[in-house]
Amino acid sequence: MLPLSLLKTAQSHPMLVELKNGETYNGHLVSCDSWMNINLRDVICTSKDGDRFWRMPECYIRGSTIKYLRIPDEVIDMVKEDAQAKSRNRGEMNKNRGGNSQQNQNQRAVRSGNRNNFNNRGGQGGGPGLGNGGMRTGGSGQGNRLLAQNNKNRK
Amino acid sequence: MSGLESYINHTVSIITADGRNFIGTLKGFDQTINIIIDECHERVFSTTAGTEQIVLGLHIIRGDNIAVIGLIDEAIDARLDLPNIRGEPLGPVVH
Repeated sequence: MLPLSLLKTAQSHPMLVELKNGETYNGHLVSCDSWMNINLRDVICTSKDGDRFWRMPECYIRGSTIKYLRIPDEVIDMVKEDAQAKSRNRGEMNKNRGGNSQQNQNQRAVRSGNRNNFNNRGGQGGGPGLGNGGMRTGGSGQGNRLLAQNNKNRK
Repeated sequence: MSGLESYINHTVSIITADGRNFIGTLKGFDQTINIIIDECHERVFSTTAGTEQIVLGLHIIRGDNIAVIGLIDEAIDARLDLPNIRGEPLGPVVH
């Protein structure tokens, strides 16, 4: 689990942030980014020695000044669902990407088929080349057949 | 793969740049060594009283602030008699 995913999951939860200078900020997390810059609402700032306090409606903290964040215990159980959902989506995305690349290959085959067609203009290759153009929307099996055909044309 | 991967879900001790010692279960880390520590305790060493354990809960510690991450042998750690262990507290890292 990534620390920044946990932080993102903690949005709208209360938290304590200690800065490198020893000041602490208690508030509700509004938003955060990939640099750990954070927005807090309803904040109480405590000085390093712990004897002075400031209330403020909101504040923005640069990520690089943070020492640590204390987060409610239950937040870690909420991340797991998010992470699982994300990895599922990623799996599907990869599947789609695979599908697309096959389609691309198919289109490439069609294009090179046309090129062969051009090269063989006036020869026998012209007929099948034109036919191939119509198979643009075909599946990967057809793409492979096209490739085989193209190779034959090339020879 | 980073050596920290094998520490995941194990008890670790974190020494931070300000000289504090956090003990807890490593739940995650990233490329800048920001870490997630679950069931985090701070051990406060003292020469006059025994070692005090302060329960803190779930923490994200920023990588900038981390000096050492060490794997704890849980069997040995469970045998420690912390209230009767005295020691100098660490000072902060001097740059």
